[in-house]
Amino acid sequence: MRRRRILLVDDEVSITRALALYLTENGGCDVRVENEGIRAVASAREFEPDLIFLDIMMPDIDGGTVASEIQDDPLLRGTPIVFLTALVSRDETGGTLKRIGGYPFLAKPTHPEVVLEYIKVHARKGA
Amino acid sequence: MVSALLGVGLVALTIVHLLPVYFGLSIGGPFLILFVVAPYIAIALGAGWFGEVRRYQAELRAMQLQLIQSEKLDSVGRMAAGVAHEVKNPLQMILTGVEVLSKRLADTDESTRQILRDMADAVERADRIIGGLLNYSRDRGLGLAYADLNGTIEKSLALVNHELDKAGIALVKNLHESLPMVRLDEFKMQQVFVNLFTNAMHAVGRDGQIRVATSMERLTRGPNVGHRKTDRYTPGERVAIIRIEDSGPGIPREHLEKVFDPFFTTKPTGSGTGLGLSVSRQIVEMHGGTIEAGNRDAGGARVTIMMKLGTAGAPA
Repeated sequence: MRRRRILLVDDEVSITRALALYLTENGGCDVRVENEGIRAVASAREFEPDLIFLDIMMPDIDGGTVASEIQDDPLLRGTPIVFLTALVSRDETGGTLKRIGGYPFLAKPTHPEVVLEYIKVHARKGA
Repeated sequence: MVSALLGVGLVALTIVHLLPVYFGLSIGGPFLILFVVAPYIAIALGAGWFGEVRRYQAELRAMQLQLIQSEKLDSVGRMAAGVAHEVKNPLQMILTGVEVLSKRLADTDESTRQILRDMADAVERADRIIGGLLNYSRDRGLGLAYADLNGTIEKSLALVNHELDKAGIALVKNLHESLPMVRLDEFKMQQVFVNLFTNAMHAVGRDGQIRVATSMERLTRGPNVGHRKTDRYTPGERVAIIRIEDSGPGIPREHLEKVFDPFFTTKPTGSGTGLGLSVSRQIVEMHGGTIEAGNRDAGGARVTIMMKLGTAGAPA
């Protein structure tokens, strides 16, 4: 079984660097990082991720627009997306039950173990 | 001011009482009556006028305080979203970094592991404060339904019962048995009661006592009772009253006006956000009710909540 491919889209370099390291070392994931939201769709087309963690508030484009562009893309349509956002408090997240625009979300700061659990639940199963 | 006016009044009264004796006896009966009665009428009118002035001054002050409070709440709301984003991103980095290091340093000495645990705890603490701010700025809506106020209090007590038992705090309940149903957002009102019980627990410490009582009253007079737009209750309106009292040291006089201010806390740094009572007030006022904090004559603090009782259509 191949490693899960996870795309992290967040303009905060320090967050993606640490999270990529954690998911690689402790979750056995194949992680790609994209710090420019506007390049997220192109990165996803190249990488073909099993799950995308997507920041909402980015300087060049908002995560909601990226999510709809991904769903409009014939190659990427159906790719699972989880928003990882600083715009909500943890009380407002409710596992997979609560969603923003139909997508599950995690409130920053999220324990990386929870990120791993979300990968187990939401990522497309590897071949 | 009042004593000076009384003094002047008494002197005037004495003089005008002597005047008719000195000058007026020869003038005749009607003038004598006028001389004697007029000062009383003047003083009564004056006292009434000063009473009105004092009442309007008190109302003006209450309105000013309400305005300041509302401006504070709005500023907090505006600030919250901005602060949340700017602080939560660095917290995410620190938490992830700490977890990466914890895994890599799994075999390190206990003191290093403790430092890493402390760092993760500090992130949690900061996140709780930020989360409180975000919730505070968004809690503007209510899901109203008729509910049993006593039942809501019981449910709130169930959430703190364990802590009460652990601290050996005695709970005395005196709940009015036939309180009508009240239109309220039960979840939010539970938040209020849990906040108040938690504050009371912190105030009384070990082996203290907390009393909670509900009653029903028909308001005839009071600072919030009247027919003006600013009055929350009309004379004769029935309200449910909830009193939560504790056997703690009470609220220092200089804190009484500040306890409902956002970020006001007397708890040690990191133990309280200073938003509990402010949020409670916001929730109670959204229900059209009032909340006041004060001290009991016998010692200890007392928080009094008044809630409007349901009218037409309220289930029995």
